[in-house]
Amino acid sequence: MRDRLFAPRLPTLAVLLGPALLLFVAFVVVPVILAIWFSAFNWSGGRSMTFAGISNYVRLVQDVQFWKTFANNLFLIVFCLVGQIGLGFLVAILMYGRSLRLKEFHRTVIFFPVVISAVVIGFMWSMIYNKDYGLLNYALRGLGLGGWIRPYLDDPHTVMFYASVPVVWQYIGLYMMLFLTGLQGIDPTIFEVAEIDGASAGQRALHITLPLLVDTMKVAVMLCIAGNMKIFDHIFIMTGGGPGRASMVMAMYAYNQTFEMFKLGYSSSISVGIMVLSLALILVSRGLLRQKSA
Amino acid sequence: MRMHLLRRTGLGVVTNAVVVFFSAVCLFPVAWMAYSSLKTKAEFAKDLLALPAVPQFVNYVAAFRVGEMQIYFLNSVMISTISVVVLVFVSFLAAYALSRYRFRLNAVIFVLFVSGLLVPVHGLLIPVFILFKRLDLLDHRITLILPYIAFGLPLAIFLFESFIRSIPREMEEASFMDGASLAFTLRRIIFPMTAPAVATATILSFLACWNEFPFALVLLKTKALKTLPIGLTNFSGQFATDYTKLMAALMITIIPMMVVYFLSYKTIMRGMVAGAVKG
Repeated sequence: MRDRLFAPRLPTLAVLLGPALLLFVAFVVVPVILAIWFSAFNWSGGRSMTFAGISNYVRLVQDVQFWKTFANNLFLIVFCLVGQIGLGFLVAILMYGRSLRLKEFHRTVIFFPVVISAVVIGFMWSMIYNKDYGLLNYALRGLGLGGWIRPYLDDPHTVMFYASVPVVWQYIGLYMMLFLTGLQGIDPTIFEVAEIDGASAGQRALHITLPLLVDTMKVAVMLCIAGNMKIFDHIFIMTGGGPGRASMVMAMYAYNQTFEMFKLGYSSSISVGIMVLSLALILVSRGLLRQKSA
Repeated sequence: MRMHLLRRTGLGVVTNAVVVFFSAVCLFPVAWMAYSSLKTKAEFAKDLLALPAVPQFVNYVAAFRVGEMQIYFLNSVMISTISVVVLVFVSFLAAYALSRYRFRLNAVIFVLFVSGLLVPVHGLLIPVFILFKRLDLLDHRITLILPYIAFGLPLAIFLFESFIRSIPREMEEASFMDGASLAFTLRRIIFPMTAPAVATATILSFLACWNEFPFALVLLKTKALKTLPIGLTNFSGQFATDYTKLMAALMITIIPMMVVYFLSYKTIMRGMVAGAVKG
């Protein structure tokens, strides 16, 4: 009976699966293949398209600019690993405690930036950083800390730091919720017993909560890496990759090579590079994390 | 004992203070933008922190009249809505087939879809541009809808598949016994039972479409077709130093999101965490 009901005929299957499969293949699978295909050509978008073999990749590997943009992605990842996961964990622990009032309110407010468009965040922080009309300089002047004023986004040496702050700021709420969800999965009697045994809040966080949250921590690390490999919007809006190319990230470099340099073959190889490096980072971190817990 | 109590109160005060600080840091920039958008340019220049003396809507009027935000707004509403409706529909059908039927390529197709969660979308930016150029798909009404649906499929199918799997098969069996067709059974029984997953997928993919920037930037040229995030970049070019007007435009972009958020923040938070864990 069951077999007959759930053994579909081909037309039924085609109707159910067809549309999704078609869309996915056309706009995800085919572009991946195309990127690999076009990366084997020198092509500026016009009629002439010359086969280039692996020369684009040879160039890519030696392209200092490309590795600089990759380094910027790595900077973001490290900065966010510390900032987002650290602060997210801290807030989650504080949220979990009994002494906090207005929990629901705080949770809702801290999570809110997560849903705002990254473009809006970029514009908002450009205004916060503005020399004359910026909130930050206003606050520093008000506090008598005028000496701390910097050309935040205009100094090539520090631009990545200041460009990373809004990214951390936006996503603290996401990591907070991730950890809160993890915490809710822990049996609360563990904390009660520890408290009766005289463990301080700090000790409890470090020796009980953290080890029990290993899996959540792994997810957070993975999310942080994947999220920051595809960063584009914030930085595009705030600095456009500048000054010079100081804050350019990988996705922006591919964009730049396509729409400003018209090197479509080369930018295809950059796209492949982005995919390979992202996957590699995710797989490597997954492998490392697995080892650690074993 | 008293010492212990004192320490606990002290800890409570610190906890509350720290969390209030975090909330303020998260809320204040948005609040600043919200109330500053109601100030005149002169008022803002005089004191950038002060509340508006009398709330003015001149900036919003300018954002619509001069900045033509309504064009981008309507495009965003239309593109996001169509993308999400089609996405939910096709993902539901596919997830149903994948979770209920046993056929040879089942596992392969499921893995194919779910591996989409690992593909960095920005790696696809340039190849999709080239593909669309070749197919003459650049700069049409449907241009953004196609990739938005495709990029949303992995997560939606993943959410639906596991949810449908948890629905007992007896549901369909009873329905089929009564002579109902598959279409009827899906529409009237399975889809309504999948409602929580549908809500999650709908909200998450709507957010993703509403906020999407790089593909909209690359695939569209005509102003009449552009969405809000691109509209904002046009707008800021026009009013580079006119902060209060820019703030009004930014508010126009995020007010719908604020409404959606405050109506369904629980679903959003839960869904985002679920999406993160699965991705």
